[in-house]
Amino acid sequence: MSTSSVSGAPETLTPVTHRVSQAQLVKYADASGDHNPLHLDVDFAAGTPYGKPIAHGMLVLAFVSELLTKSFGRAWLCGGKLKTRFRAPVYPGDMVTASGTLKSATDAQATYTVSVHNQGGEAVITGEATVPLAA
Amino acid sequence: MDLTSLEPGQTLLSEPLVISIGDAAQYRAAVEDDAGLYAKEHVVPPMAVAAKLMTAAMDAVGLPAGAVHTGQELEFARPVAEGTELACIVMVVQNNLRQGTRFLVLELSGTEGEELAVAGRTTIAITEGEGTS
Repeated sequence: MSTSSVSGAPETLTPVTHRVSQAQLVKYADASGDHNPLHLDVDFAAGTPYGKPIAHGMLVLAFVSELLTKSFGRAWLCGGKLKTRFRAPVYPGDMVTASGTLKSATDAQATYTVSVHNQGGEAVITGEATVPLAA
Repeated sequence: MDLTSLEPGQTLLSEPLVISIGDAAQYRAAVEDDAGLYAKEHVVPPMAVAAKLMTAAMDAVGLPAGAVHTGQELEFARPVAEGTELACIVMVVQNNLRQGTRFLVLELSGTEGEELAVAGRTTIAITEGEGTS
């Protein structure tokens, strides 16, 4: 995290980076129960507009939650809110980075612009997160 | 399930959900989340609850394999301890067809006793003609 605002909320959050692999998609499918072949079956995915398997959106979104948990701890679990759009697919082999920048803050809460970008700088997830601030 | 028959306000799922210590550990390993908070405090990553709710919702609807998740709102009201039983509800909020793509908006919630733990709203896009599974 970097420079704190007047509210005490950091201006930027320390980014979280992950390289997504096909093995991770298999692990995530088992952990979440989401075995959609779009994520797991090369032959099926080849017949979709994506051409190959793509990561589960909720897996990539988990990197945003990790970013917020590492930045705010229990506060994220006790009143955190997230509103996001999935903008582009993430493919196995992609390196993605979740980051956040302070948008506004009061004494009670801070709102961050959050995003996940791939190694090419393309936004794959964009949105906002609101975190309660300790009194 | 015939996607065209889904009506706003319709409850798709109402059933208990338990994420065990093992389930939580499996989830943390899958998402490679090394934040120590969850293991230290024996709470479930909130996205694990959301993911299980999403999967239950998708199973209840019987989404076709090519369905794509396009938007997600989530609210984490309180931490969920490992092994806690949550009452999960999934409801239809919107079901619209636009230019050959069906947009389904579902509302999800997980409640512990009388207390809301996790709530969310998910948007799923389905290209018409993919059929249902």
